[in-house]
Amino acid sequence: MNRLDVFKSVLWTLTGLAVATAITRFIFGLGAVSNLSDSTPWGIWKGFSVVPGIALAAGGFVVTAVIYVLKREEFHQYAKVAVLIAFLGYLSAATALVVELGLPWLVWQPVIYWQFHSALFEVSWCVMLYLGVLLLEFLPVPLEETSWFAGLRRFLTKYKLVLVFLGIMISSLHQSSLGTLFLITPEKLHPLWYSALLPIEFLVSAIAVGPLVVILGVLVICYMYRKEADRKTLSKLAYLGFIVTVIYGLIRFIDLGVCGKLPMIFDGSWQSTVFLIEIALMLVIPIVLLGIRRLRYSQAGLAIACFSAVIGLGLDRANIAGVMLQVPGSHYYPTIYEVFVSLGIVAGAIIVFLFCVEHFKIWDVKWKDPRGNAEYCPRFDLSSDVWLGSPGVTERVKYSLVFVLSFALGFALMPQDRIESKGVEEITVQKARGGDTLFIDGNLDAFGALFDHARHVGILGQKESCVMCHHMNVPLDKESGCWECHSSMYTATDIFRHDWHASPNGANIVCDVCHEPQQERQKASAKECRDCHIDLYADSTADTLDTYLAVSYVDAMHILCVNCHRERAVADTTRAALAQCPTCHTGSQPDYLKAEMADELSRPAPNHVMMPPAVLQVKEE
Amino acid sequence: MSMAILTDITRCIGCFECVAACKKTNGHEADKPYVFHINDGLSAHNWTSIVQRPDKHFVRKQCRHCLEAACASACPVAALHQTSEGIVIYDSHKCIGCRYCMIACPYGIPRYDWDKPVPYVQKCNMCYELVKHGKQPACTAVCPTQATIFGDRKELIAEAHRRIEENPGKYINKVFGEFEVGGTSVLYISDIDLGFLSYVAIPGTKALPKTTATAMEAVLPTFFGVGAVMGGLHWLVRRRQKLQRENEESEG
Repeated sequence: MNRLDVFKSVLWTLTGLAVATAITRFIFGLGAVSNLSDSTPWGIWKGFSVVPGIALAAGGFVVTAVIYVLKREEFHQYAKVAVLIAFLGYLSAATALVVELGLPWLVWQPVIYWQFHSALFEVSWCVMLYLGVLLLEFLPVPLEETSWFAGLRRFLTKYKLVLVFLGIMISSLHQSSLGTLFLITPEKLHPLWYSALLPIEFLVSAIAVGPLVVILGVLVICYMYRKEADRKTLSKLAYLGFIVTVIYGLIRFIDLGVCGKLPMIFDGSWQSTVFLIEIALMLVIPIVLLGIRRLRYSQAGLAIACFSAVIGLGLDRANIAGVMLQVPGSHYYPTIYEVFVSLGIVAGAIIVFLFCVEHFKIWDVKWKDPRGNAEYCPRFDLSSDVWLGSPGVTERVKYSLVFVLSFALGFALMPQDRIESKGVEEITVQKARGGDTLFIDGNLDAFGALFDHARHVGILGQKESCVMCHHMNVPLDKESGCWECHSSMYTATDIFRHDWHASPNGANIVCDVCHEPQQERQKASAKECRDCHIDLYADSTADTLDTYLAVSYVDAMHILCVNCHRERAVADTTRAALAQCPTCHTGSQPDYLKAEMADELSRPAPNHVMMPPAVLQVKEE
Repeated sequence: MSMAILTDITRCIGCFECVAACKKTNGHEADKPYVFHINDGLSAHNWTSIVQRPDKHFVRKQCRHCLEAACASACPVAALHQTSEGIVIYDSHKCIGCRYCMIACPYGIPRYDWDKPVPYVQKCNMCYELVKHGKQPACTAVCPTQATIFGDRKELIAEAHRRIEENPGKYINKVFGEFEVGGTSVLYISDIDLGFLSYVAIPGTKALPKTTATAMEAVLPTFFGVGAVMGGLHWLVRRRQKLQRENEESEG
């Protein structure tokens, strides 16, 4: 096992875990594998994978600008690496988006539904366009390996400058509009990060770190493949990053100073600590290491500076897009599955990167595995027909095995209980507040009705009966209203019983008695009730009935009786105080409840139980 | 014609009629204690809720239908958009699920179907289907105390000010939503402060879409400006190299 072997195995493991998580997410929804919630709609998939991924891809346009626009030929050897890193950065951001979006199969919709005032509209257009530009910029490299599409390759190589220009223009827009995204959240984003200059800060910091990402990439693969890096040109490139980093630092701190936010840096909150860490990683360490010429030319100094700047930029973007963008009181922390996906996408991108390094001419020659292929040759001596032992396992077989195993492991690790519960929390059931008899007082005016909870539990079937009324809901939405069961009290009733009138056991009258003969038997052709039931109508009643529906019992009492009594009880104290619920609702209660009720009312804070009220269901014929 | 809802906190008795009517009208299933909820009663299945505050105060929470809605300005595909009545409605077939609206909303209103493989954004649409046909939303229609009423925004603001003036001392002298974040269509008058409905106690009067508007207007100038600057630099560098070469040749 050499370092490349270990590294690749780790990468394939992470990819396997990520794929397993992604599949679970598509079957069971975002909530099954992530801790995203209504208070934290964007988690590390956007905050770690998408936004920083794009920022770190800035090396592509910065380095190509230096090479092709400013004609600095000494950096030409890094052009392909820079474009490849940018392409993979964008590709991994796009992949993360596919997992992260709620409806990723509609991700192309910004193409048809234009929305010029949305920053995200611009971002999505830039991602699509720049991904295409980067693909065209990189395409000549793999096409070199084949004689096919030679015309296309020549065409792309000839018009490279156009692609470079397009890339720079789209990238500048895109990097800055990522900052624009967060301008709309002045109240949520922590003031140390929020600034009206966010678009400019995003662009400048991306330009600053872009070359450093390319340098880091070069250093890492030089380490992996045991090659010597050209430290002189790398240091020159790093100096460019150094200058822009200084400019970025100035912009950021002058902005903070002008807005009077400088004292917040040292106020001791955890946010200020994170800010200091970010500034140290992103500004202090790179500026110190790259500013001193001797350190800039040393491999360790260069590597540490670039690594620190990359981590710092990632942290800055993650802070703005997630960590510092929180609703007070929400506690988001990513699940291990979210981490799987985020790391797996990075790992996948690195695998593709290594593949390109080994199979395409990223440099003048392809960089093969330093061990060579000797030990993988079939160990069979043709001349002597002697079997020399089984061949070593090929790379392909080995990494496939690693991937499949981790893929299976990923599925085994998926949160079974969370998938089964569909995000529904288990809550402990408490004994009814206020004991066995509840005092229902919807409007909290200390006049209410008693509800014999114990009796209901007894009738409905003890413990198993809870769910018949309680939905184990969020507070204040916990119960079914009384009307859900006692619907007969609440629904309007038909006062005309047609079948009873026609039945031999009832009124036993033939159709013609009510309906005009020779006509269709409808309500319209029927006689009025009063034509037979003269007694039902008081002499003064001139109206005919326009409906056969009578209001429900509850409405009859509460609306017809109570409203009238409420007015009259004021004028005439002998009238029953029907407007006060206990007048009626205790009358039918057993005596022990009356005592409890009096007890309840005498307490300083009566135990009010909220009950959702009935919704009137009147069905006209 | 800008339609609006005015909620008078002093009249609300916390009966939940509006919540029940909302659920019935929009066909929402019963809520469950999901781990993804914020504890304010709103959820993917509850587009309005009653928040209980101390001293018998009930505050109905719902989408504010801002006159310049941050969510609609943030939406990259116009899935959330404003109708001529000032109502912010949602087109589920346009939505790509980016959830930028949830980030942008200053009141934290939009909720998401976290438990579904095909999730949508969920928020109050002020019963647009009813309003379109000249009716009023389900919640205001059922309110037994007229604590929440529906009407033209200008008339409701006038009504709110009339109530405040006629009952001196009863209300806080402010119509919540008249100017906040550029004005909202859902207005409140109250005897308690309603700062808890938004992320900061006193939201600014600047409409949030204006914060990104400047940057968005600069998009095309930036695009071509960067192109022009880069082109100019390229021309300069080329020319300098050419002159240098010519110098060398003439010297040589």
